[in-house]
Parts: sequence; structure tokens; C-alpha cells
Amino acid sequence: MDYKKLANDIFEQGKDKMEEMEIFIQKSKGIEIKVFNGEIDKYSISESGGLSLRGISNEKMGYAYTEKIDESSIDMLIDEAFENGKYIDSLDKENIFAGSDKYEEVDNYNEGLNNVALEDKIEFVKNLEKEALAIDNKVFAVEDCVYEDFERNRYLINTKGVDLSDKSNGAFSYISVIAKEGEDTKTGLSYRISNDFSKFNYKEMAKEAVEEAISLLGATSIKSNNYPVVFKNQIFAEIIGAFIPVFSAEEVQKGLSLLKDKIGTKLANEKLSIVDDPFLKGGFATKAFDDEGTKTQYKKIIDNGVLNTYLHNWKTAEKDGIESTGNGCRTSYKSSLSIFPTNLYVEKGDKTFDELIGSIDNGLYIINVAGLHSGLNTVSGDYSLSAYGYEIENGKIKRPVNQITIAGNLYETLMNIEEIGNDLSFTTAMGGAFVGSPSVKIKSISVAGE
Amino acid sequence: MLSNKVIENVLYAALSKGGDFAEIFVEDKYNTNMKLVGGLLETSISGRDFGVGIRIFDKLNSIYAYTNDSSEENLIKVAKEAAAALQSSKIDLTLNFIKNESRNLSPVKLLPRTITKKDKLDLMKKGYESAKNYDPVISQVSVNYLDEEQNILIANTEGLLADDKRVRTRIAVSSVASKDGEMQQGYHAPGASMGFEFFDKINIEEVGKEASRIAKTMVYAEHCPSGVMPVIIDNEFGGVLFHEACGHGLEATSVAKGTSVFCDKLEQMVASPLVTAIDDGTIPNEWGTLNIDDEGTPTQRNVLIENGILKSYLIDKLNGRRMGMDSTGSSRRQSYKFAPTSRMNNTYIAAGESTLKEMISNTEKGLYAKKLGGGSVNTSTGDFNFAVMEGYLVENGKVLKPVRGATLIGNGIKVLELIDMVGNDLEMGQGMCGSISGSVPVNVGQPSIRVKSLTVGGRKGDE
Repeated sequence: MDYKKLANDIFEQGKDKMEEMEIFIQKSKGIEIKVFNGEIDKYSISESGGLSLRGISNEKMGYAYTEKIDESSIDMLIDEAFENGKYIDSLDKENIFAGSDKYEEVDNYNEGLNNVALEDKIEFVKNLEKEALAIDNKVFAVEDCVYEDFERNRYLINTKGVDLSDKSNGAFSYISVIAKEGEDTKTGLSYRISNDFSKFNYKEMAKEAVEEAISLLGATSIKSNNYPVVFKNQIFAEIIGAFIPVFSAEEVQKGLSLLKDKIGTKLANEKLSIVDDPFLKGGFATKAFDDEGTKTQYKKIIDNGVLNTYLHNWKTAEKDGIESTGNGCRTSYKSSLSIFPTNLYVEKGDKTFDELIGSIDNGLYIINVAGLHSGLNTVSGDYSLSAYGYEIENGKIKRPVNQITIAGNLYETLMNIEEIGNDLSFTTAMGGAFVGSPSVKIKSISVAGE
Repeated sequence: MLSNKVIENVLYAALSKGGDFAEIFVEDKYNTNMKLVGGLLETSISGRDFGVGIRIFDKLNSIYAYTNDSSEENLIKVAKEAAAALQSSKIDLTLNFIKNESRNLSPVKLLPRTITKKDKLDLMKKGYESAKNYDPVISQVSVNYLDEEQNILIANTEGLLADDKRVRTRIAVSSVASKDGEMQQGYHAPGASMGFEFFDKINIEEVGKEASRIAKTMVYAEHCPSGVMPVIIDNEFGGVLFHEACGHGLEATSVAKGTSVFCDKLEQMVASPLVTAIDDGTIPNEWGTLNIDDEGTPTQRNVLIENGILKSYLIDKLNGRRMGMDSTGSSRRQSYKFAPTSRMNNTYIAAGESTLKEMISNTEKGLYAKKLGGGSVNTSTGDFNFAVMEGYLVENGKVLKPVRGATLIGNGIKVLELIDMVGNDLEMGQGMCGSISGSVPVNVGQPSIRVKSLTVGGRKGDE
């Protein structure tokens, strides 16, 4: 499909109603393979996408979208976008951007992934399940055993001369096993995210998931108290990922982030730095331009414990009298402009994982939390999450612990960070963010158990 | 949406390399989303989702493919690509569609597409005003409005041909109360399978006030203490307890593979005899109601637990094959982008005989959870968690003071056994439920109930 021509047709027909217009198109295709008991239980293939039109009339921005990307949608797009803009009365002006002078060269598309034969992918998932079932006879079942990969294309064309496109690809594999001893069942999991198929090692993954499930058998609760806690790297990344909105200038300007007026102030232990890096090699959010067509940039959001910047698109930047930080985001062609980080991560520290555990006389190592979408309040920073992991005694992992909740406040927790590990690992968090963290030791967290 | 001839050709192509069942799902959906922040309309988006999903079964294996391009040529190409994954032999197929007589459980008077954006905006502003003016402590209010009109067509090689129009409307008010540098949020979001006439049925001003009442109460609340204690859970959205703790574990998605804690427990006692729980997709105009599920099977009223005894699971066609049981009309999907699977519709605990007042006066020391937030569950272990949006400490049979930040955790089957009082005040609330076939609208409901002992997590620590 010639999107350039379609865009020009829309601009031509829409110019009576709207002064400036922009077309944003996302296309994606992918496959998903799920194996159960040695057979392909589910195989999915997909190819889809959508087109969004946004346009300015009378200084007001209206949006409309369609998944029928052809000429038949033009009238509907123009009418709906115009209607939707008519009643906008927000005082913050949203403009269409004319483009940056130059963009970094980034390559986030691995041709090699494209060339992996379907048979090899199927073989990988089957081996993963087989291996997990074979390691230990306490393994009762493999609950989920999945491989998926995708390819995404993005097009941004506007009446101010922006004409950009890029593509990226990636793959994901996940296994969840159930171990059983008597009536006691526990799950263990392992996953990999990469656009390099050679990084997917089924033996490693199966071993991790099985060991985790078995090590959790016999878990019981722990006495309610305040404990020092080590968070597993990917879990701390998930928690930081769930709090992403607090760094958004939009939330700050609306009074929904407690980081208002906090730039330049100390927020956390000086060992903590949080980075937004659009150029991270292999990062799922690696890109040269954001969804407004602005060049992206590397930045430290928290630099040695001090809040350095919020994340901006042009709408919030103009309100603060500054330039966009290149974090303009369209979650999808169905969404309006928002703000989102690129690859966000906690910089690694100098302590090994064993040193973190070794420094605790009596505390907890948390390897999983649940309730991030409900037990966490980005406005107040309060969180209360169901968790499981292990009790640490005299610097050693002693026994599995479950049926506990951990509760605290993000801002207090950041201040209470004591040490940061050197085992940086990435995960996909809420909203599809690509977030990383090393294991992190917190001085004290309130734990509710027995 | 597609002619019978095209549907036939696609289904033939889908089974051209083997397989024993093929299905096509066509979706054409109109959406409107509007967001008002601080009294000003900030965004208004409308658009059209359009796509086709093709599914093939080969015994217990399934293949799913979807596309936005509904030309006959492309659909046949996609069906053949999907079929290429099969290695069994081709079966003889004769198609003879029988169109089912359709029923309409959720009649719509005012189709949202016919209502002007101005009318929708005026409604939102009313909600904003009542929430903002509730109390000076309310610092920010946002109002979200959404409506959708989903037109679907489903056909399969068993000869089923069905279509439906599903209309839903919802408004959500979110209030923030600020005091001494702290902020707390309150939220209320009623919705229904109705058109714009839904707003004649509910009072939008009350919706705004309710959101602000919760925010105000919570900004003055202390942190919740932690520990194991009796918990009284109020009616309506409190039903999310059953939804998370048990409902997900009764879905065939986890039962068929033998991984749910409820496996092999039919006709066994799994709950306190006070508990009867039902999933009913047929309640007129309710948020989770459907005329037919996303496989074209009419929805029904499924009694899941009766007086503590497990009576039924929630079953879709594919898992039904695995379990040797019939579909319960419970197969759902967010859109054509998802293969459908067993999900809940309107799930609730049936009314009992106690009153909320009795529950409180019979509790020496515990938590009264008036509003619950969301939660989640691990269906293999049954461990669940959810957030308490509005909670109060109960002492010596009286409600003492509001507490914030509480989380409830427990284990599905155990918590059902621990329910020792069930109220007579059944109500339902609306939510979105996320699982492997996407996010679908569901009702959760219950009368007020008391759980003898639950682990409460909170920041204040042990008391």
C-alpha cells in the first residue's frame, strides 16, 4: 500500500476543514507458538494495523482512526477528526511538529530473526517443554510454554513536512512450570526477551523455571514485621515500570505526580540513577524519533539520587517553556498523544547478587510480586503487593516464603535503597514499557504475614 | 459484513489441509472515547475497528490467524497460510448454514453513534461539577466517557451462522483529594449494555459525588495495620473477591489442562455451605451480558457453586473437547485479534440472610472493606491478592475509622471455606477483566459477606 499517496489524498480533502494534519500508521505482524504435552496446542499468525488522523482546526486538535486502511475511510476520518476537535477546551495547545534537523542512526531490526525457520522455532518450544518435564519428577505440569515474535512498522507523515518511517522486530519466550509435592503446588517461571534467536537457550530457561518452582515447595508465611529486602532484578524493574507515570510531565502538570517542583532535589540514595536510553542496543523501545517526529535523546531522569528531568512531549514542553525530550508517544493509533519513556533502566551498581544477600542477617529475597495494576497508586506512591520469595538468615537463603504482602511508598523506598547489584536485566512492564534493573537492596519494608 | 459465499470459501480453504473444525469471526466496531480533565475536554477520539479472525481445530490443537484486510482473496490466503501448519489429512466438508433465531437481551433505545459529541460532553461536565464541588479537599477530577457498538458475524463448519450487535456505554469519574502533600484517589465507573439512555437510569451527579466521597475519606485515613483478621467485604464491587479467588480457577482455560486447584472437584464441597455462586450472561442490559458468546453459542445462567458444592465450570468449545463437556456459552474475546476462550460474564455470589449491620456488630476486631480495587490470581496455586480502595477498622462491633492502602491476600478454596456470613443485599459492579483472550467487560457482584480470617497487608505494621 502506498501510504504516502493515501496521506496526500487525506490532506488534500481535509484542508478545507483543518489547517494542519498528521497521519500515524502502525502495522505489525507476528506469530505465536504454544506447546502442550509435546504438541502444538496453539499456533497464531497475524497481520494488522491501523491509521490515525489528527488535525488542527481553530487551534484545536481532533483525532480519528480506522483499521480499514484504504480510500473508503477518508471521509469518515476527516469528519470524525473535525468533530472531535470542535469541543476541545483544554488550554494546553497541541501542535503538529515540523521535524528535527537530524536523527541518530539506529538499527532495531535484526534480519537474522526473520530468517529463522518456523520449524526451528517449533523445535525450540517443544524442547523447552520436554526439558522442563524431564529435569525433576516433582514437575507436575508445564502450564505455559510459549514462543512469539513480531515485526512492527511505523509511519509518520504530516503537512509540515515530516515523512518518517522505521521498523523493528523482537521475540519473546516464556515458560511456567508447576511443581507438586503432596497437596502443595508451586509455580516457577522463566522468560527471555531479545531480537536475537541465539539468545534463547531452552536448557537454561527450563532449569531456571523448574528450580524456582521446586525451591518454593513448602513455602509458608513469615511473621509480620519490617525487614530488609532484596528485590530480584526483573521484579524491581516491574515495580519501577508500574510507576512510570510519575516521571511524565503531563502527570506533573495535572497535579497527579508528587514529583512536582522536585527537579534538582534529592529523591533517592545517591547510588541510584535511572536512565531513559533510546539508543540501547537490542532494546525493544530503541528508536531514532518519537511518535511526534522529534529526535530521541539519552537522558538521566534520576542522576545519583537527584531528579534531573521529567519526560516531555511538545505539548508539555511548550507549557514549561522548554524543548521536548523526545518522549512523545502514541500508545496505539487508537490513542491520543501521551508521554512514555523509551528503554528505561536503573543503572547497575557494583555489588554482586551474593554480596546483596550476604549483607542481610534476617530479611527477605522477593522474586515475584502480584497486584501491580491494582495495589499500587501512582498518585500517592503507595503500594501494597502480594509477594513471594525466600527468607534470608545470616547472609544465606534459608527457606521459601509466600502468603505475604509488602507495603510501602515509592518515594520512601527510593530513599531506603541501600545497595544496587551489578546484574542488570530487562523486562516488559505495564503498558509495554521496556524496563530494566539490577537486583536492589532496600533497608526496610513493611511485610505482612502471620 | 461478508457474503455467505465468501464465508464458505474461506472455511473450505481453512480445512484444505486437514483439521476438523473451522470458524470465522468478523468484527466491525465503532468506538468513542472522551476525556475531561479539570473540567476541560482534553481528548476526544473516535474510530472504527475492523478485522477478521479465522480459527481451525485439529482435534485438540488450534490455529488462529487474523487480518484487517477482508477482501476474499486475502482471507483465503490467510486461511491457507493458517492451514499450512496442519499435517493431517483433508476431510470431506459440506456446508449448510442454519441461521439461529436471535434474541435481544439488551435492547438499546439511543444508539450512541446518533448522539452528538456535545451531549456526551455536557453529561461529562455534570459529573465533573458534582465531583469537584463535593468538598474543597478535592484537588483534581477527571471524567472518562466511552461508548462502543460492536457488530459481529460468526460462522463455522458445523453450519452455525450468527450475528449480533453489542452496544455498551460507560462513564468513569476519578477524584483526587490532596492534603498536606498527600494525595488519595476515589473512583466510580458504572456501565451497561445499553445506549445513551443509560444516563437516564443512573444519576451522573451521584457518580461524581461517590468518587469524591471515597477520595476525601481516604485522604483523612490512617495507614492500614497488617495482620490476620476477620474481613467484612461490602456488596457490589466486593464481588471481585469471588471473581479473582475462584472465578478464574473455574475457567476451562485452566481446568482443561489439569492445572486449576478446582480440577476433579465437581460435586465436592469447595466452599462454605452459605456460598452459592453464579455466572449469568443473560441478565438484561448488564455490562457483562451477551446474546451469544464469541463462538456463537447462546449465553446461559451457569450455577458454579450451590450451597458450597462445585456444580459447573465455564467452558468454551476447544477446552470442552479436552474435558469431554459441552460449551457453557462462556467463550469470549476482546476482539478479532484474540482467539476466544472460557471467561466470565456477570459473576456473583447469591444473596444470603445476614445483614451488614449484623456482620459489623459481630466483629470484635477486623477490617470492613467497603470498596475494593482490582486484583489478580495465580490459578495454579489459587493465591490471590486485591487492593482495598476504601476500608475501615472495626472494633467491638463498631466501625472505628477509615484506613488506607490495605491489600487482601489469600488462597481461593480456603477463603471460600472461611466465609461465615452472607448478606441479603446483592448488588453488582462493573469492571474490565484481563486474561489470555484480552480485556472483556464483566460484572462482579455479591451481597456483603464476612470472611472469618484473611491476611491484610498494610503499611502501619502489626497492631
